[in-house]
Amino acid sequence: MQVPNSFKLALLKQMLLGFQLSAVSSNSMSFHERKNAIKLSADAAMVFARGSTRWTRGLVASLSKNRNNEDLLRGILGKKYERLSLPCCNSWKIPRSRKILKRCLGLCSRRKKATGTQHDVKSSSTLARRLVKKRIQVLKKLLPGGESMEGFSLLDQTLDYAVSLKAQVDVMRRLLKISKASNLNLHLKEEEEEEEEHAQRH
Amino acid sequence: MSSRRSRISEEEIAELLSKLQSLLPEARRRGASRASAAKLLKETCNYIRSLHREVDDLSDRLSEMMATMDLDSAQAEIIRSLFRP
Repeated sequence: MQVPNSFKLALLKQMLLGFQLSAVSSNSMSFHERKNAIKLSADAAMVFARGSTRWTRGLVASLSKNRNNEDLLRGILGKKYERLSLPCCNSWKIPRSRKILKRCLGLCSRRKKATGTQHDVKSSSTLARRLVKKRIQVLKKLLPGGESMEGFSLLDQTLDYAVSLKAQVDVMRRLLKISKASNLNLHLKEEEEEEEEHAQRH
Repeated sequence: MSSRRSRISEEEIAELLSKLQSLLPEARRRGASRASAAKLLKETCNYIRSLHREVDDLSDRLSEMMATMDLDSAQAEIIRSLFRP
């Protein structure tokens, strides 16, 4: 699963805007300040590119907790910042889907196993269910806004978030590659100029 | 008349689970055998964590590079690279 190029373009554009707003290329920042500005820009840009969905709202909420982030968030998100900060209209309850989902997660994959006594089969499926429950809790902590999601929404948003994260990584990798290349060009140019100067003097 | 959104079918769930599985790097290598729910969830969590680590690592490295970068030409170059095969 992939995002369209337009997503990556929007992400890149807003991320670079964030870099400019927080003046990452100035010499006055410490390494950590710069790194945090870069991360914040990357996350806000990802939110901008994705638009309104539960995890982007969750991410804006957690990023906003730090007051220092507000200016940069507003700078990158613009009007979207207010809209994404509004309390979400409470999710329509879908208890039915939760039951269906839990059934699919808990039992579908085990239907084929018919070995063992009745007692064994029971306890192994209970264990499986417990394990699934435990891992769902872990997932909820990893997904922005995940604590308030259940069942289908949780998985759906997880997929959405993972795909967006992958795109964020891709854009950052390309940026790094190009910045290395341009730095290399810069150094080569300097070396060339130094050599010329040296040659001219002798 | 029940609204379309009030019931999610088993097909939709199965589709979602299969999409999740195909997203994970391991699944692509192993082929189409269906993983258990617990395994799928574990690998999904691992995948997201690894992406977080990558972002963190890339932020470190970008931070080192930033001081001497020309942002405008970098942007143009990335856009070009997005459209190359």
